Amino acid sequence: MSTTEILFWFLSALALVSATMVLISKNPVHSILWLIIVFFAISGHYILLNAQFLAIVNLIVYAGAIMVLFLFVVMLMNLNSDSEPQKNNRFKIAGAISGGCLMLIMIDVIRDAGEVQNAKALVKEGNIGLIKNLGMVLFKDYVIPFEISSVLFLAAMVGAVVIGKRN
Amino acid sequence: MSIDFLMLLKQEMMLIVIIFILMFLKLGKDRSNESYMTIVNALLLANVVIGFFGNEEGVLFAEMFRTNKLMVLEKNILNLGMLIISMQSFVWLKTHKHVPEFYILLLSTMLGMFFMISAGNLLMFYLGLELSTIPLAAAANFDLAKRRSSEAAMKLIFSSAFSSSLLLFGISLIYGTTGTLIFSQIPLHLGNNPLQIFAFILLLAGLAFKISVAPFHLWTADVYEGAPVAVTSFLSVVSKGAVLFVFVSVLYTVFKPLAGAWYNMLFILSLLTIIIGNLFAIRQDNFKRFLAFSSIAQVGFILVGISGSSTFGSASVVYFVLIYVFSNLAAFGVISLVSSITGNESISNYRGFYKTNPVLSWILTLALFSLAGVPPTAGFFGKFFLLFAGAGKGNYWFITIAALNMIISFYYYLRIVKAIFMDENDHPIPRVLIPLMPRLALYTCIAGVLAVGFISYIYDYIHSLSRGM
Repeated sequence: MSTTEILFWFLSALALVSATMVLISKNPVHSILWLIIVFFAISGHYILLNAQFLAIVNLIVYAGAIMVLFLFVVMLMNLNSDSEPQKNNRFKIAGAISGGCLMLIMIDVIRDAGEVQNAKALVKEGNIGLIKNLGMVLFKDYVIPFEISSVLFLAAMVGAVVIGKRN
Repeated sequence: MSIDFLMLLKQEMMLIVIIFILMFLKLGKDRSNESYMTIVNALLLANVVIGFFGNEEGVLFAEMFRTNKLMVLEKNILNLGMLIISMQSFVWLKTHKHVPEFYILLLSTMLGMFFMISAGNLLMFYLGLELSTIPLAAAANFDLAKRRSSEAAMKLIFSSAFSSSLLLFGISLIYGTTGTLIFSQIPLHLGNNPLQIFAFILLLAGLAFKISVAPFHLWTADVYEGAPVAVTSFLSVVSKGAVLFVFVSVLYTVFKPLAGAWYNMLFILSLLTIIIGNLFAIRQDNFKRFLAFSSIAQVGFILVGISGSSTFGSASVVYFVLIYVFSNLAAFGVISLVSSITGNESISNYRGFYKTNPVLSWILTLALFSLAGVPPTAGFFGKFFLLFAGAGKGNYWFITIAALNMIISFYYYLRIVKAIFMDENDHPIPRVLIPLMPRLALYTCIAGVLAVGFISYIYDYIHSLSRGM
């Protein structure tokens, strides 16, 4: 196994385990800390794909800014395991059955998808994640989604201000 | 940059211009709500009128944006719906503190829908869909003092976030298996690969959430009940109409190679949607909840039309949405007036409504007739064409069950008509004065309900623009 493969498996396992921990932690603050580890693992994957800029942005924006917001909200709301609503057992069983069905289908579908299994990731070859290429793509091919997302932010801000100015 | 570019993006540009005019009006000196609303309605009217002139077909930004006459027509229908809703919500907005913001939110939602309709790329499609749902959640919270309104906003944002994540997962699997996001390229790489069908199911589920097709409809009634009437009517008419337009064009063009798979899915989903919508509509007492379930049943009928997968299917859907704009907005207009003036929203309060409000009673009755599909109104022609389009596949059992469900729906629509005209009530809803703007909007709706069915030019025009599979 090459170093890249070892790193890939390590990062994937780390991401999966910490994502599971996000879900099963009783304490919301712990969930958020596990989520940060998920983001680190994903950033590691970006670096393996030669997308350094994306990796750094992912860390700064998600693991940095968004997680701080999450933590603030959780702390302000003062959530803990006591205030969590009691979960009905029936919901747990229904969730387990439907989630299990989805997993079975996904495993089966991926087993049957021949062409995808043979496809190889472009490790160290793709260079779209470098800042120069990303800028070119963003302002040439994807200029219209880029501009439209500014309207989305404007609308989101207006909405937040209106809801916040309740009194 | 040329004139061509501006002409193709004309309707989107208009919306952006209106959004910015409103922003600057809000930043400037204080105005009365009525002057805001006069300005906004004039701008929206201009928007509708301009939409009908100088339309061209074309593709921009490497197929990110494409437009043709059918898309322009669909956008015009949505523009018209927006204008009618804006005029109807006059009474409710008159006392509200944040009028320009309300319009900024709804118009940015419309902008998202326009880009979604015109999208030629899955990325653009997804962005349009997001833009058309996130501001709506804020708008659902616009009855700022009411808890139910915030509850509706929370439910809307959670369910739409969940559906968006399903959709995004579907899109990423499609990108993974086909290697492209461009609509015109995807069908070339689609086959009967199970992974692609799975991706398609995720995408279908995401869209089904937005148009509240049966197993994904659970958010609808609560959100419709809690949100202000103006937002509810926007959700049920404009937002649903936009997603339906996209649904047809995506199924008929991008997922054409999977037609065998999605015909069966639509078959099951549409029957389930019609039956569940009908059964739950029978037992509702809140008018908005009632219309929520009725709109679920209507979407079921639209799916029957879509399953026909012919030019006829696509044309009948656009035609039905046009009729649905008029008939549903007439019903919502009456409810909006009554609820903002007297605060009554339950059907049992409408007993004896005819004695005190004959005009509103007739408008509501015509709207309900059209929703049910009683012959002289446009709704009959709409449903007839939908079922006819569905019958094109030769699956007559399917059409028979759908038609039988139309009869069940007569029961609950006519139950309200009976309550309005025949039931005795010692304390009927007092007489409601209709201000000029809502009155104009209601008359427009009624004219639409009565005329669209008979002016065959409209259907022929839509049919001439539509494309089958």
